[in-house]
Amino acid sequence: MAKDKAQAVDLRHYDVVRRPLITEKTTRVGEHNQVVFEVARGATKPEIRAAVEALFGVKVTAVNTLVAKGKAGRWRGRPYVRSDVKKAFVTLAPGQSIDVTTGV
Amino acid sequence: MQVTETLNEGLKRGFSLRIPAADIDARVENAVAEVAPRVRMPGFRPGKVPGNLIRRMHGAALRQEAIREAVDEGLKALIGERQLRPAMQPSVDLDRLPDDGEDLVVSVDMEILPEVPEVLTEGIALERLVVEVDEAEVEAALARLAEQQKRFVEAEPGHAARRGDLVVMDFRGTVGGEPFEGGTGTGMEIALGSGRLIPGFEAQLEGAIAGEERTVRLTIPADYPAPAIAGKEAEFAVTVTAVRVPEIPAVDDALAKNLGLDGLGTLRELLKEQLERELAPLTRTYMKRKLLDHLAAQVDFDVPPSMVEAEFQTIWAQLTEGMSEEERAAAEAERGDYMRIATRRVRLGLLLSDIGQKAGIGITQAEMNRLVAEEAARYPGQEAEVRKYFAENPMAAAQLRAPLYEEKVVDHLLAKAAITERRVTRAELEAAIASEDETPLSRLPAHGEPGHVHGPDCDHADARAEPAKPKRAARAKAAEAEEGGADAPAASEPKPTRKRAPKAGAE
Repeated sequence: MAKDKAQAVDLRHYDVVRRPLITEKTTRVGEHNQVVFEVARGATKPEIRAAVEALFGVKVTAVNTLVAKGKAGRWRGRPYVRSDVKKAFVTLAPGQSIDVTTGV
Repeated sequence: MQVTETLNEGLKRGFSLRIPAADIDARVENAVAEVAPRVRMPGFRPGKVPGNLIRRMHGAALRQEAIREAVDEGLKALIGERQLRPAMQPSVDLDRLPDDGEDLVVSVDMEILPEVPEVLTEGIALERLVVEVDEAEVEAALARLAEQQKRFVEAEPGHAARRGDLVVMDFRGTVGGEPFEGGTGTGMEIALGSGRLIPGFEAQLEGAIAGEERTVRLTIPADYPAPAIAGKEAEFAVTVTAVRVPEIPAVDDALAKNLGLDGLGTLRELLKEQLERELAPLTRTYMKRKLLDHLAAQVDFDVPPSMVEAEFQTIWAQLTEGMSEEERAAAEAERGDYMRIATRRVRLGLLLSDIGQKAGIGITQAEMNRLVAEEAARYPGQEAEVRKYFAENPMAAAQLRAPLYEEKVVDHLLAKAAITERRVTRAELEAAIASEDETPLSRLPAHGEPGHVHGPDCDHADARAEPAKPKRAARAKAAEAEEGGADAPAASEPKPTRKRAPKAGAE
């Protein structure tokens, strides 16, 4: 499996790519050969590309990222903010795929 | 679906079913399409989860379900196609769960119901043994009744107590000079010969007269409940305060009036009726038994071994229940006999249900309701639950229906039978029922297997039979089992037999 190979490559990739996001929206972008991951807040696009390529053994053509700001709320009058989440839309080379349900 | 017959021996059939992989896949596909609108998964609105995701998440479970369905349907098709009538649930053996794209191979084993041969149901020669209740019996019953009404009256002074008399006494018992617990009492009434006291005590009171003081010496039995005094010599200082003699009321109008009746004549009639009521089921028992003997002698066909085995297990379980080791060992020796009984019961059950079907006998909804109501009445306060139970459990309802169904078939046969009446005494009737004679009155030779009952799984009529009580001699045993097969009513049952709960269902 790719996982074993990745482990041999580098453990730090697991810190970059946290988990795949499986939602209605991500299955739809999946039709355009894109996979969506939740990634570390400080991960850069080159890091994400390297990690995905190493972990899943695929060729990545593009990485788009966004940071979803954590929601602000109030509890017992005290304001708080939920953690920000960085998402990465990874476009794979044509013909390649990742089985997202198996997880990272 | 491919079917190959692997076994065809007697009533046993074996098949091998091959269900193509495509068939299973199609079923899985259907199952996915069916559950898709209901699946909830985080990240998706309900019902919007794509099919391939469902398959990935629940695929294994759906697949198993699909295989089960495929096997069930295959089995049904097999039975329908080959016109098989399985005796019991066929046993299905999955060699192993096939991988994707592999055909599923199942082996099926079953026992089929035998073809029941035609039997002559018209004009079976039977004898109705009618017992005339004679005056003597009524008188005896009257005497018994009077006996129950007896009172004790103060005896004349100087009357020496005899057996049957009531002695009123004060007593003080000692063991080794020490009084013991429960050893003293005053005004105790004891009927001599009733055996309520320590053995020997009552005997030593015989001949006592009122006011007399006596000393009773005896040994307390070793198994006496109070261990402190068990097995020891005891001395009782007894003061007899009164002796009473029983007075049995005369059989007259006064006695009848005491019982709330008009007069002696009414009482006599009542008793006579009661005796007749007791005898009617006996007469029927005899007829039914002869009928079953007749049927058993007419036919001989193979019966499914599994049904016989189930029947045997039921008999055996009842028989050995509460038996000691030795008794069990003794019963073990007669295993063959019980096996024979089981075989006959199964055969007769199949036969009766077949006759019933051909004659179009059925149980109506009204009758069923009545049965359920009767059953419900036995559990006061839970009637609704009982009703629900029978409504929801077809098997239980079938068990309830079976005895009635059998009775109806028997009635049907009796209606067509050529019945001759013969007057007998009660003793003769009882002897006839207990006898081992299995020769039917018609021309056929005796077959020789006692009464009939059903296993829990056979799907037809059943006799409420009591298998033999184990300790009796082999002779009595066979006779009794026979009697049981003939649905003897518990009330007039002369011997201690075990009542067997009705099992099995009528179709």
